[in-house]
Amino acid sequence: MLLTFLSHQWTGFWRSKSKTGTVAAQLLMGFLVLYLIVVSIFVGYSMEEIIEKLLPGKELMVVFNGMILYYYAMEFLVRMQIQELPTLAVVPYLHLNIPKQKLVNFLNISAIFSPFNILPVFIFFPFIVMNIRVDYSLFACIMYLVTILSLTVFNNYAVLYFKRLSTGNIKIILAGLLVLFIVGGLEYFNIFSIASVSNVIFQAICSYPLVAICFIVLASAMFLINARFLKRNLYIEELKSGAEKKSSTDYPFLDRFGEAGTLVALEIKLILRNKRPRSTVSKGLIFIFYGLLFYKSNVIEGDEFGKMLFAAIFMTGNMTLLYGQFMFGWQAAEFDGLLANKTNVRTFFKAKLLMLTIASTVLTLITSLYGLISWKLLLLQFAAYFYNIGIGAVIVLYFATRNYKYIDLKKGSSFNWQGVGASSMLMSLPILLFPYVIYLPVAWLYNPYWGLTAIALLGIAGLFLRNFWLTALVTSFNTRKYKIAAGFREQS
Amino acid sequence: MIIEISKLNKTYAGHTVVDIDHLVINEGEMVGIIGNNGAGKTTLFRMLLDLIRPDTGEILSKGFNVAESDQWKNYTASYLDEGFLIDYLTPEEYFIFVGSLHQMSVADVAEHLKKYQEFFNGEILDSGKYIRDFSKGNQNKVGIVSALMQNPELLVLDEPFANLDPTTQIRLKAHLKQLKSAQLTTLISSHDLNHVTEVCDRIILFEKGKVIKDMYTTEHTLNELEDYFSR
Repeated sequence: MLLTFLSHQWTGFWRSKSKTGTVAAQLLMGFLVLYLIVVSIFVGYSMEEIIEKLLPGKELMVVFNGMILYYYAMEFLVRMQIQELPTLAVVPYLHLNIPKQKLVNFLNISAIFSPFNILPVFIFFPFIVMNIRVDYSLFACIMYLVTILSLTVFNNYAVLYFKRLSTGNIKIILAGLLVLFIVGGLEYFNIFSIASVSNVIFQAICSYPLVAICFIVLASAMFLINARFLKRNLYIEELKSGAEKKSSTDYPFLDRFGEAGTLVALEIKLILRNKRPRSTVSKGLIFIFYGLLFYKSNVIEGDEFGKMLFAAIFMTGNMTLLYGQFMFGWQAAEFDGLLANKTNVRTFFKAKLLMLTIASTVLTLITSLYGLISWKLLLLQFAAYFYNIGIGAVIVLYFATRNYKYIDLKKGSSFNWQGVGASSMLMSLPILLFPYVIYLPVAWLYNPYWGLTAIALLGIAGLFLRNFWLTALVTSFNTRKYKIAAGFREQS
Repeated sequence: MIIEISKLNKTYAGHTVVDIDHLVINEGEMVGIIGNNGAGKTTLFRMLLDLIRPDTGEILSKGFNVAESDQWKNYTASYLDEGFLIDYLTPEEYFIFVGSLHQMSVADVAEHLKKYQEFFNGEILDSGKYIRDFSKGNQNKVGIVSALMQNPELLVLDEPFANLDPTTQIRLKAHLKQLKSAQLTTLISSHDLNHVTEVCDRIILFEKGKVIKDMYTTEHTLNELEDYFSR
């Protein structure tokens, strides 16, 4: 039976409508995994040297022991973001004469085939085999390995379990975030440290290897909880999310923008109520921490805005770049309706510009907190802001008129290459490079502040020319609208 | 005459889907478009709504080529398939959105929807669901009502009876008959010969993109069509 399921998945993969896309995506995934494995092997074999280099003078075992729970805590978070639930694949089998247990087994077994489950083997095993066997005993070494495997299994099924629990349940996600903040805070204020807990636990395993049995029990328990939950909830309606009552909402502050405002409200709902755009936008929010990486005090003091320009543009305009790159594919499912309705193409584009402007404004206001570090950053970010709303948004929309790819809103955004095409790949290049073309010569000829002024002025000029851009965009759209609509009708 | 189609041709991969030399639809007519699968009904509707570009020829709506001016949108309402619905909205939000495009206030929309309470059978409004969570039949109802709500002069419905329960089919038929007026032109495609002959006063039969029969409905029409299709 299991083999039949697997062969169905295999044929399904090869016969999917967007075959070339899926194959390319899987190949890219494969290379990424391969790369990660190579890195893991390297890290695993040179663990000793790495620890000695990074933390000289510390005892090797203490660092290594302390690291393990950290690794699994981080892994848990990454898995929560990336690991996909294999649930929906079973829907066509539910009504057939197949025992439920078999379906559950299939889901559980197929969940093991995840790159996350091999990486720890490569990272931790070499060090354990080389060190613990020598320092302690062979038995301790084996039990240590078993603990690592148990933790991996535990994480694997815990993530699936929590993801299943939380589909459509925002409370659990919030609770999880809260726990995270508390633990992080305790760690930050040195009240409680994962590292020391981890050290105590693994020290115990080295000395009393039978302690590892606890972890085997823990992993088995998690596996069973997940299996039981699955078996009890294997119904189509429960595999889908959200049984809670949906209510109508409106955004009064958008009313003043007339019809364009109505269209913006529509798009905000699109983002909030669908999985893929929601995760795209929420991931974009993470990028507001880019400043912490790029805004270094010596760079700020030296007025080297060139080194920070990229971060500023990306932070204030990441909605434009990340959400905009798939425009209008987000609306592919209802595109025919939008065209046939009494909407005007010009208003449609006006609404897009308005939305991107609102998004950039909000992001700029949030990132203005970086102004606490230095007022120069405010200059930089506002220059980037004007550029984004004056020029960036227009470039994005221009490329959007050359995008014919349908996007399935129900899928997650991690490693999802649906809708990625030449236009969406190329789009970010001019947007990110163009400011440098303006800034570098001016900064070199005069001074960096004039460079920023030039960027800001360019953006403001772009704003004044909006009507001109709109006409150009509408013309560009009208020549391709049949092709766009036809492309969107071909759902993959 | 509200619609004039001339020399219209659309070919996909060497396969002619629509091929109409000349066809005129007059104001106030309720026209049934019938034909087997692949006859080109939906493609014709899509070209009429400027969603597909014809290979040759043109469709004039009130004298303007639909591909060249947006004029027709002011008096045309349509529902072809679920692709016309915005599936992440609640039905109320969708009606209000469509209404706002026609300068209808929220109160206007609510007033209008009252007329359709019977048609909705209590399942659409206040249901606490997004459109994507409804059954196909109920999605159909949302689409049809949103088209009717726009007070159009030209109404285009692609298989409106499909997926509807028998009660709603009967109610829709009655409502369409009641809508009949000199100001409203309606184009309906359907596979149900009984329904179209009952509702429409003119029937156009397509086969492989060509007009095979074009007739005004009489008491013999149904038999004639049944003969044709059972050949």
